[in-house]
This record gives sequence, C-alpha cells and structure tokens, in this order.
Amino acid sequence: MSKSFKRLLFISILLITVHVSPEAFANRNSQSGSAISTVKQNDKTVKGKVVDSQGQPLPGVTVVLKGTTQGTTTDFDGNYTLTDIPEDGIVVYSFVGMQTIEQSVLNQTEINVTMHEETVGLEEVVAIGYGSQKKKDLTGSIVSVGTDDLKSLPLASVGEAMQGKAAGVQIISNGTPGADPTFRIRGIGTINNNDPLLVIDGVPTQSGLNQLNMDDVQSIQVLKDASATAIYGSRGANGVVIITTKSGKSGRGQINFNAYYGIQEATNMVEMLNASEFAALHNEMMVNAGQVQNPEYGDPSSLGKGTDWLGAIFGSAPIQNYSVSYSGGNEKSSYYVSGNYFNQEGIVNNTGFKRYTLKFNSDTKILDNVKFGNNITLNHDDKYNGDYSIIDAMRALPTQPIYNPDDSYAGPVGIPMWYGDIVNPVGRSEINENTTLGYNLMGSVFGEIEIIEGLTFKSLAGIKANFWQSRTWAPKYDWQPTPQEQSYLGESWNRSITWNWDNTLTYQTTINDVHKLTVMAGTSAQENKFKYMNGSIQEFASDLTQQLDNGLSQKNIGGNENDWSLLSYMARINYSYADKYLFTATVRRDGSSRFGANHKWGVFPSGSAAWRISEEDFFEPVKFVDDLKIRAGYGITGNQEIGNYAFASALNIIKYNFNDNLVSAVVPIVMPNPNVQWESQKQANVGFDATIIDQRLNITFDAYVKNTEDMLVPASVPITTGYSDVYVPSVNAGKIQNKGVELSITSHNMKGEFTWDTDFNISVNRNEVKSLNDTIPMARGSVGFNQQISRIEVGHAMDVFYGFVTDGVFQNEQEVAEHALQVPGDDPYARTSPGDIRFLDLNSDGVIDDDDRTYIGNPNPDFIFALNNTFAYKGFDLTIFLQGVYGNDIYNANRIWSEGMAVAQNQSIGTLNRWTGEGTSNSVPRAVFNDPNKNIRPSDRFIEDGSYLRVKNVTFGYSFPKKIIQKARMSSARIYVTGTNLFTFTKYTGFDPEVGVNGIDLNTYPVTKTYSLGVNISF
Amino acid sequence: MKSVKNIFIAIILSALVVSCSEDFLEKAPLDTINTDNYYQTAEDAINAINGAYQPLQWPKLYNMRMWTSDIMAGNSIVGAGGGDDGRETQDMANFVTTTDNAGVLDLFRGPAPGILRCNVVLQKVPDIEMDENLKNRILGEAHFLRAHYYFILVRYFGDVPLITEPQVPGDDLRPARTDKSQVYDLIIEDLTIAKELLPVKSSYSSSDLGRATKGAATGLLAKVYLTLGDWDKVITLTNEVASLGYQLNEAYADNFDVNNKNSIESLFEVQYTGDAGEDFWANENQASWLSTFQGPRNSGMVAGGWGWNQPTQEFVDAYEDDDERKDVTVFYNGCPQFDGQDYDPVYSLTGYNLRKFLVTKAVSPTYDNSPMNFPVLRYADVLLMKAEALNNQNKPTEAEVPLNLVRSRAGLPAITGKTQTEMKDIILHERRMELAFEGQRWFDLIRADNGQWGLNFLHSIGKLNASEKHLLFPVPLKEIESNPNLTQNPGY
Repeated sequence: MSKSFKRLLFISILLITVHVSPEAFANRNSQSGSAISTVKQNDKTVKGKVVDSQGQPLPGVTVVLKGTTQGTTTDFDGNYTLTDIPEDGIVVYSFVGMQTIEQSVLNQTEINVTMHEETVGLEEVVAIGYGSQKKKDLTGSIVSVGTDDLKSLPLASVGEAMQGKAAGVQIISNGTPGADPTFRIRGIGTINNNDPLLVIDGVPTQSGLNQLNMDDVQSIQVLKDASATAIYGSRGANGVVIITTKSGKSGRGQINFNAYYGIQEATNMVEMLNASEFAALHNEMMVNAGQVQNPEYGDPSSLGKGTDWLGAIFGSAPIQNYSVSYSGGNEKSSYYVSGNYFNQEGIVNNTGFKRYTLKFNSDTKILDNVKFGNNITLNHDDKYNGDYSIIDAMRALPTQPIYNPDDSYAGPVGIPMWYGDIVNPVGRSEINENTTLGYNLMGSVFGEIEIIEGLTFKSLAGIKANFWQSRTWAPKYDWQPTPQEQSYLGESWNRSITWNWDNTLTYQTTINDVHKLTVMAGTSAQENKFKYMNGSIQEFASDLTQQLDNGLSQKNIGGNENDWSLLSYMARINYSYADKYLFTATVRRDGSSRFGANHKWGVFPSGSAAWRISEEDFFEPVKFVDDLKIRAGYGITGNQEIGNYAFASALNIIKYNFNDNLVSAVVPIVMPNPNVQWESQKQANVGFDATIIDQRLNITFDAYVKNTEDMLVPASVPITTGYSDVYVPSVNAGKIQNKGVELSITSHNMKGEFTWDTDFNISVNRNEVKSLNDTIPMARGSVGFNQQISRIEVGHAMDVFYGFVTDGVFQNEQEVAEHALQVPGDDPYARTSPGDIRFLDLNSDGVIDDDDRTYIGNPNPDFIFALNNTFAYKGFDLTIFLQGVYGNDIYNANRIWSEGMAVAQNQSIGTLNRWTGEGTSNSVPRAVFNDPNKNIRPSDRFIEDGSYLRVKNVTFGYSFPKKIIQKARMSSARIYVTGTNLFTFTKYTGFDPEVGVNGIDLNTYPVTKTYSLGVNISF
Repeated sequence: MKSVKNIFIAIILSALVVSCSEDFLEKAPLDTINTDNYYQTAEDAINAINGAYQPLQWPKLYNMRMWTSDIMAGNSIVGAGGGDDGRETQDMANFVTTTDNAGVLDLFRGPAPGILRCNVVLQKVPDIEMDENLKNRILGEAHFLRAHYYFILVRYFGDVPLITEPQVPGDDLRPARTDKSQVYDLIIEDLTIAKELLPVKSSYSSSDLGRATKGAATGLLAKVYLTLGDWDKVITLTNEVASLGYQLNEAYADNFDVNNKNSIESLFEVQYTGDAGEDFWANENQASWLSTFQGPRNSGMVAGGWGWNQPTQEFVDAYEDDDERKDVTVFYNGCPQFDGQDYDPVYSLTGYNLRKFLVTKAVSPTYDNSPMNFPVLRYADVLLMKAEALNNQNKPTEAEVPLNLVRSRAGLPAITGKTQTEMKDIILHERRMELAFEGQRWFDLIRADNGQWGLNFLHSIGKLNASEKHLLFPVPLKEIESNPNLTQNPGY
C-alpha cells in the first residue's frame, strides 16, 4: 500500500506546484495591480450610520469597498467614514448574524443602512457530502439543525441536543455522564449496527460527538434518504450526520463568552420497600417455600425504615460549562479559535465527566485561486465512576446499615438466604475507582485550487486520533460477603488512529442563464488501526502507591491490534433547468477490507429529481404559495459495520496446562463465513417543501420506503457445531422494510416587536421483517436468567417481545388444578400453588411449555414528535420545547429483580400489593423463595407502555439593550435560565421511559432533570 | 492550454488512486492463525490436541456444572443461593428445571467445542508428516476426549446429534438427534481405538502428565460398559487397568493435595495451574473455581469463600463412624482445623461446608488462582466399578475384594457375607462417600436400575418432585430455537 500511496502523494504535490508556478503568480500580480490603480484615480469620502432593525446603532460593523481590503468598522454609535471611494464602487456592510448588504456609491456621500438579522431560509447553504448546495436546490431528504437550536443546553453531547430537532431522527439519551446518545434515522434498518455515519469537518467516523464543544458547532445536516446518503456508499444506510464547525467571518474580530451552571437530579425515583416491609415480605417468602425464617425478622415492624440505598447512591449534581472563542477575518482569510471546559457530575454517587476542548479553524486564500484551510479539535476528557450498580442499590437490603459502628462499610454476613449477597453498593461506589482519560485529536487540512473558472480541485486530509487510558483500582477491603483479598490495579492503553484522504474535482457552470450544472468526481481512502495494551497486578505494600511497579503478585499482561480500510470512488451530478427542474445523480464504488476477496467491492448508485411547481406560469394564480417544490429520489446504500474480519477463517490461540506446565493450544472458535457480502438498502423517497403565506409557514413532508436486503445478521450457530454460539459470524440473511412519513412545520406566527415561532415535527415509521433466509426466528435481548425477550421473525417488527401471556393469579388450589399443568410436582413447596401467576395455555394442550409463548409487545414507537415554541419581545426570549414518543412498549427488566420476590433482595413498593390469600390480588403474585412457578419468566407481566411526553426544555432569556452594554464594550449580552426534562408525562413505572432502542430497561442510567443559569456575552 | 493540462493531471490523479487499491484493502486478523496454512507440523498437531482438552476446564463442565450435579443428587444444597446465583442449580435440585435453565445450557455447551476440536485433529493430523508414535498418541488423545465429551452429553441428554467431522458453512448445521445407542457405539469405538493408540502413563514425561493414557481410556470404557450393563467387559477392563500399575494413594487426602497432582491413583484429571494470567471468568481461565466457590462464606478461611455446596445433614449422617474421609471431605462442628483456623457451623445453613477441594491462602492468595486439579477418574472408582459388576453377576463375595480395598484405605472394617441385594446398596453407598462431590453421584443415581434406584433415593430424602422425566435434562431452549430439528425430551 505504502508505495502506491507515496506515488499518489507525489502527484498531488506536483499538481499543486503547477498552480504556484512563478508564471501564474506574476500574471495574477499584474491583475491586482491594475485594480489598485483604478481606486487611486478617485477621491471621495462616504460616511453614514448603521442601525439594526430596531433602529439601534450597530457598532463593529465591517464596511469595505467591494473587491478591496480598503475599509473600516463602525464606532459605538454605528457611524463610519470611508475615504478614497470611486463613484462606481460598491460598499459592503457585514456583521456576524446579520445579512450582508451591498450599496452602490454613485453620487452619494452619506449612506445609512439598516441591517437585518440573517434568517435561516431557502438561501441557506447546506453540506451534502463532498460539497454543498443551496437548500432550495435540494432534491433529497436533508434536514438542517441550526446552532440556535443547540446553544445553551446543559448537555454533554451535541447529539443529545439534536433530540426532537429533526423529523425522522430518533435520538435516545443516555444518562451516563459523557455518554453519546443513540441515533436511529428512519427506524431500524438492520439488526446490525444502526448508528449513522458522522462526518465531522470532513472526517467520517462512528463516534466522537461528545468530544465536541457544542458552542463550536456551526451547522448540522442529517442526510436521510438514499439519494442523499448514497454519496457515502457503503456507510450511508443508517443515514449520515454532517457536522460543520464554526469559522471566522470577515469583519471586526469577535470575542464570545458562554457559560452556564446547573443542577441535575433524577427525573423519577423508583420506590423500594423499607426495612419492616421487606422483613414481612421475606418472612412470607420463606414460609411459602417451606424454609426457615430469619429470626431477626421476627417482628418486622420493629425494624422501621432502615436504609434507603437508592437515596444513598443518587443525589443532585452540578453541571457547568465555560467556553471562550475569538474569531474574525478579512476577505482573504478567517480564523476561529475557542476553548471549552465542561464538567458534569453524575447523579449517581461518584460518577462524572470532564472535558477540555481547544478548537482552531482557519482558512486562507494564498492566491486568488488557491485556498488552504484547517479544522482542528484537541480534546481531553476524563470519565470517572466508582464501582456503582443501580440495580444493586435497588436490591440491597434495607435491613442492612450502610456503615458498621466502626465506620467501615457494612455488608451481608450470615446465611445468604436471609441476608442476600449484595456487596455494599455505596461502599463499592466510593472505594473502587474506574477512570478513563481520553486524549483526542480530530481535524482536517484541505487545499482547494480553482483550476479554471468553475473547476475546483479539493484535497482533504483528515485524522481522528484517539488515545485513551483506563484504570481500575480496587483496594484491599474486607467487604462482606466476600472480601477484596488484595489491592488490585488494572490499566490499559488504547490507541485508535483513523486517517482519510479525499480528493474531489468539482465543476460548476451556468449555461445560458438557465442550465445550472455541478459535477463532482472524487476518491476517498480511509484506514484505521487500533491497538491496546493492558496489565494488572495485585498486592500493594501501601495503597498510597498505586503504580503497576508497586504491585507484587498476579502480574497479568495483554494486548492486541486490529485494522480496517476503505477505498472509494464517487461522482455526483447536479443539474437544474431554470430553477424549476432539478436533478441529482450520484454513484459510489466502495472497497472494504472487511469483506472477503469475492465481495470486496460494492456499487451504490442513486438518483433524485425535484420540480419547483411554484415557478411554473400556471401556478401564478396561487398567490398564497411562495415556493413549492416536489421531490422524488431512489438510491442504494450499504452497511459494512460487521466487525473487521468477518470473512476470515481463523484459529485462536489459547492455553491449557499439563502438570502445572502451561502449553499453547490452537482452536477454532468462531465459525467462518468466507461468503459474507455487502448489506444493501434500497430506499425510495418522495416529498415536498412548501413556503406559504408570505413566508410565514414552511412545510416539509417526506414519505419513504426503505428495503434492507442481504441484511447482515449474526448467524444462528447451533451449539452442536462446536463453534461459539455467542461469537458468531455475520451472514447475509433476509430483508427488512421500513416505511414512514415525516412532517415538519415551521411557523412564524407573529412578526414584529413580539415574535412567536413554532416548530413542529412528527415522524411515523413502521418496520417489518420481510424475510429471513433462514426459517427460524432469531432470539435476542438478554434480560438475565438465560432469558431472551426479543425476536426477529418474518412478518413482525424488529425486536418484538416474545413470551408468555399472563392471566391473573391463581386464587386457590382448585384453580391450579383446573388449569393446564404449569410446574407440577409432589413437593408442596416447589410447584405451582395459589398465589402464582396463571399463564395462558395458548395451544390448549393442557401443558404450559415453550410452545405457549407469543408476541407480547413492540418496542418500536408508533410515532415520535416534538413541538418547539419560541417567543421574543424586546430583549426577552422564551423557548418551550416539548418532545415525545408514542406507542412503544418497554420490557421493564429491572422488575424481574425488584418484583421477583424470590430471593433475599429488596423489592419495589409494587410488591406491597402482592397476593397473600384468596382474593388479595389478581396481578401481583405471592412471595416465594426460588419462585418454583417461574413467575418471572418472560411474559407480558413486565411489559409497560413506554409512551411519554416530556417538557424537554424551557429557556427564558434576557438580552441587554445595546445602548447599555456598549458602555462595557460588549456587542451583545444575554442571561438565561434553562430547565431540561422538567416534566415527563408517562405511565412507565421505571426510572425513566427513555431506555435503550430495544426497549429493555435493565440497569439503565436514568436521564436527568437539570436547572441551569447561563450567560452569552460577545465583545 | 495550461488549464487543459491541469485538468488532465487531475484526471490522472484520480486514475492513480484507482490503481493503488487492491493491496490497501487486504487486511487479515493479526492475532489469529489462518486455517489455510495450519496443521502442517508436529507442533501444529500438538497445539490442536491441547485445545481439545481445554473445554474440560470450563465452568460449563468440571469447574462448576459437573460438581453442582451433587447438589441435584441430594448430597448438598446450593448454599450461596441467597441472591440470584445458583438459582438454576436450586431449580435442578428442586426438580423444577425448565428449558431455559442456565446450568443445563452450560452442560450442553461445554462438550461441543471439545468435540469439534477432536474432530479437527482426527481430520487433519493423519495427513501431517510426523513421528508415527506421536501421531498415534495425538489421535488416541482425540478419540479419548471425543468419547469422554459424548459420554457426558449422552448421560445428561439422551439422544444428541452425533457429529464426527468438523462442520463448515454450507453443511447441514441442524442435524436431528441421533439415537443414544449409536452415540454409545461411537463412544465405545473411540475408546477402543484410544486404548490401543495411547501410551501408558509411565511413558509420559512429567511435563506431559495429565494427557490421556491407555489407563484412562480403559477405565473410561469400563465405566461406559458399567452404564450399559455389560458386566463382563467391566471386569475385563478394570482388571486391565489394575495391570497397568494403578493403585490407591496411601491416604484418601492424597488425592486432593496440590503437591500430588496426577498421582498413582489418578487415571484422568482436569488440570489447573492457578496461573492468574487469564480472566477467572473467561473460558481461558487456568485456575480452579472450587476452593473459591466452596470455601465457607464469611469465614476468611480461604481466598474467596462463597459458601457453595453445603453438605446436608443426611449426607453427613451417612458417614460410618471412623470414616477417615469425613474429615477430608466436610467441615463440621469440632472438625480438625483448616490452615490454623477453627470451623464455625454458622458459616453454613446446614452447619456443614465442603472441605475436599479447598486450598490455603498460601497456595491461592486471591480468589482466582487455585491450582487444584479436578479428578475425573480415580482408581478407587475403578475398584468400585469392578465390585459393582461382580455383584451384578451375583458374585457378592468376589465383589468384597475391590470394595474392601477402598474401605480399608478409609479406615473402615471389611464388609463380608452380604447378599447381592444388600451388596448393591452397600457399593452404591460406598461410591457416594468415596466419590462425594466429584460429580459422580448423579450418574450413579440414574444408572442403577435405569434410574429407579435413584428416584427412590431422591424421594427418600424429600425430593418429592423428582420423576422419570428428570432422569434426562431438557434440550436447552436456546438450542432448539437455533435448530428446530431437535425434539424435546419428554415432559419438558
């Protein structure tokens, strides 16, 4: 590879040299020389005042003579004076956040202008991958999320801030500090990796959103349909999120300071039994199983409330963020530099995330037709947590204190059947330490040459270098029931380096004023290498010396390496006729190291067209429609996220020993599949964009059908093959269809002094497994106890829940006897008894067995929606953002433990309604040790409605009048208060209805509620 | 002109990227060996057969599930089952086992990779040019191990798919179950070949001790015939074992001494070094779980000490007075000290804990490095097999000889003058005490009188749920879901 790579590098340098040849250089000098002489011929002074739409003077506005560097900025009263201005000159007024104005001088000597704020509208330019396009010319389904939508939110990741901001994009938050949320664009297209491709400043990646400072983000585009994503070929199937960071604007330099401080708490707490309630339940549980009761629980009421373990590991926690940036530029170059400190403590004891980010973006026109630029992010983050377990805090017994009298951590001592076996959850979270320190470099450098007018060559080299070190420290401690015998230290060093090199040629031309043509052709190469080393050691002379060198025994060392590469060729044509008929066609050919020799390459074409009806003459009478464009597109994309070496037939190296002598062993573990090939997704999309009633209403509607074929699925490998039935190869098996509609409406309800804008979006997606090449359904979704709750089967949605159907609780022996056999036996303490759950005998064969399971729930929502209202009056602004999900089911797997009533673990207050005798309950079963009837088996018992409506964000801000802040040399100043996740309306009984995408709530770190106070100041 | 030249160069540039492609996309795993170029040398053959032993170490077999079968057999209770761990074993012991039982799944999963690895050896090694003696030994090891793995499966599950060659994609990966008589045919064939190919134990160097031997194959074949009720063959084969030089260790405790591994009494042991270089919970783990799992809870007597496998009162009462094995096998109130510590019966719900496999903290300072081997076949077992076969041929007096060898080592008086019926119970009782917690009791229960003897015993100790269906485990739900051609055992 390296040889051909060098050759390629050489050619590009050569190419650049051609353009910087002295001859070309001299030629350009003479041209600019003549421009300068023209200016000198005139001698005219122009002055004036610049104000904003409210009539307030605007200081700091850049005022220049077009085509020159000659210019000035307005003073604090908005006044400016320009000298040496020719009569045929044009004065350009520019200011960040305002629409740039051009004024011809003619014979004027005083030019007063009113600048208007930039509106995000049809003229907006959006990134489309290896290029950009005006939003109004789009033919595919691309949605933009502006920075106004993101700023000031007390969230760690840009991804989370996007929640509800784009139709068709479902984002599921993760409460763990520093964790990225999960994206699902247009449903679940594959049972493989469903994460969209992220393209951050030209660097394609699968991760890293949480490494960005939200204040650095200029714009986010989500490419949804295949005609938009096909330019990313084999990585386009899950959608593409393109993130562009800020660049400086020409004009006076700017300093921005943003800060907020907030307090987070859990949105909801599950309530557990107190000590006396638990002891009463425990006594019942033992009696019902014929076991001896714990004498200490003899008088439950005497035990009182006991320990609230959940309360002890959850608490409120601060979140804070400070960022400073300076930016600016002139006609030839611009710069943007920022620094950010973010610190989020978790609501779970001793968890948190800190981040330090530096950003440096710049670009410069070295020559009139040669431009270079860079986007660089340096980042350091620190994730830390104790050895916490939310589910253990639920399960720990309230009868057990947190501390012993000597202030050491208490724990269960004695018969486990009576005291359980949960190691002190508070102690573990405080004594044991896990930290991950990340050092990340992400960025790109590019050069752009305009070879002839309209023809641009761009070369971009990107890098994403991630280094992270993880450390686990578990000091020697006399935990109960089992001690940490020796202090333990484990460390690992990881390095993942991805580079990409993209070259594109773009030709743009307009023929006869009506034919607009843009042609792009390019190549892209990307490679990743990942390597790690880890080691651990035990037994330390002193816990103050926590270095690997200080350990004595049990030395352990490991390490490994893997890599992948991708090589691509792509082309795109955009053609429009009279802005009425718009066409786009793309093709990409991808070669991936992840596929075997027979299937290395895949081709991914797409095409789309749009018709701007509103430009047609016959449409003229329809006055209330300002703009109407109908779009249709079709394309094929791929998915290659199947692990690096799925095709390889490999032997693993392990160990055995004979008579204490270790020997190597070479064994097959994963069944090979040399025939693995591309998963492809065919997507058709139709939609329209309309602007109506004097630009008051923008409506975008899309409908799509996505057919995933040759879906890569983990093969169902029977155990009897001898290969792992857990680590299995991917096979191309089956088809999944997603279809849906998306609607978003932006309405400017009121304009003027009081403005009121409303954004609403709703997305409906249905998915169905159309075929599995295999006849057997796939079981997924482990929930513990060897149980799998989810299934993939033809004719059903993805990951539907599968299990038994409950039919109340047996009230007496007669009911047990009359029903089908559940768990029979002669042992009265170990068989189905009154108080146990009755499961339906679906096949009416008189026995409840595995054949009595059926589909009992669907984790896929019927629709997701969001509603944002923004109000502004004078300096005040108010945002109220609602977001919701409807029609999905959650399997609340935490309840397997918290309502199992089968072992010595604490239970939730739901069990207070348990069956204790005939007629006491028909839904909550009896407490019985070891649960002979398997009341916890996968059934509809733990399925809950996951719908929710959430007041996601309320922000109230006040911007100080310019007059006042000018005295402090500020150009703007705003203070605000924000509340996120303020209220959640849901029937769900767990911590929070935002659980994983598969709808299983098992030990999920809950989403938090945050109140924060912040400022935005610009100088 | 110049512009045209520039365009031309740009096109060439793009074309060049095209041409550099193919080698750039060639990536292969860096930590594994490609099968195409393996199995060429004697060393490759040794590495392949070493891998066939390794599943023995897994908790799916001898590190856990094989010994927890004693809990099901009524020798002990789970003990640690206060939390969630052990619930599947508790279900087995209560005879309410369901198709999703994790222990059942483990026992189905454990042997399969071993069978595959044996099949790979049997397919690839014959074609390797290497020393014939070594080749025969390796093939013998593979035959022995494959038989051993199938013997576990057939006893727990009855009919199982019989797979004798490595499967590759494109093969029918979903075979139906093979009648157990054919499974036994393969086991017998394999062991008969192994017995011929394998060397005697004494011919191994010390660093190879622990590999399959002629004695191990012969002894295991005897047990297969014992299970099938062919008493003649049992007697012949157990005599063959005796002729190979095996004898009882002087003291019962010598069998559970980390300094006396692969002893003169040992026909086959699962090897553990206690090497901490591997994750205790991973398949590659080289440490024994037993001391950690079975040490008395909260006692601090051993590293770990999770209190599993607490002997029942009924079991402890079954010891005859002066049985020297009691002090080696269980902790009881007033028992000899362990590592300088007294035992306190509050450590256990039954008042008893297991002692047999414990190692001191000097040997295993942390929970994850006990080097204790696990006995699969001991000469005492062979002697008792012979006694059982002789008695079944209605020769109770002849059966006394091997039986009393075992009893006298335990410090117990000789048994004489019993009827065949009395002798049968005596021998099974002797097996229970001698081989306690070595994963043998369950197989004895389901073997004697085709399981009826075992069901009677289980009912007598209060396990009223045990019924005929429980003589076999259910086929795991997970496996039936990935291979619908498998039928379920009756009653599940």
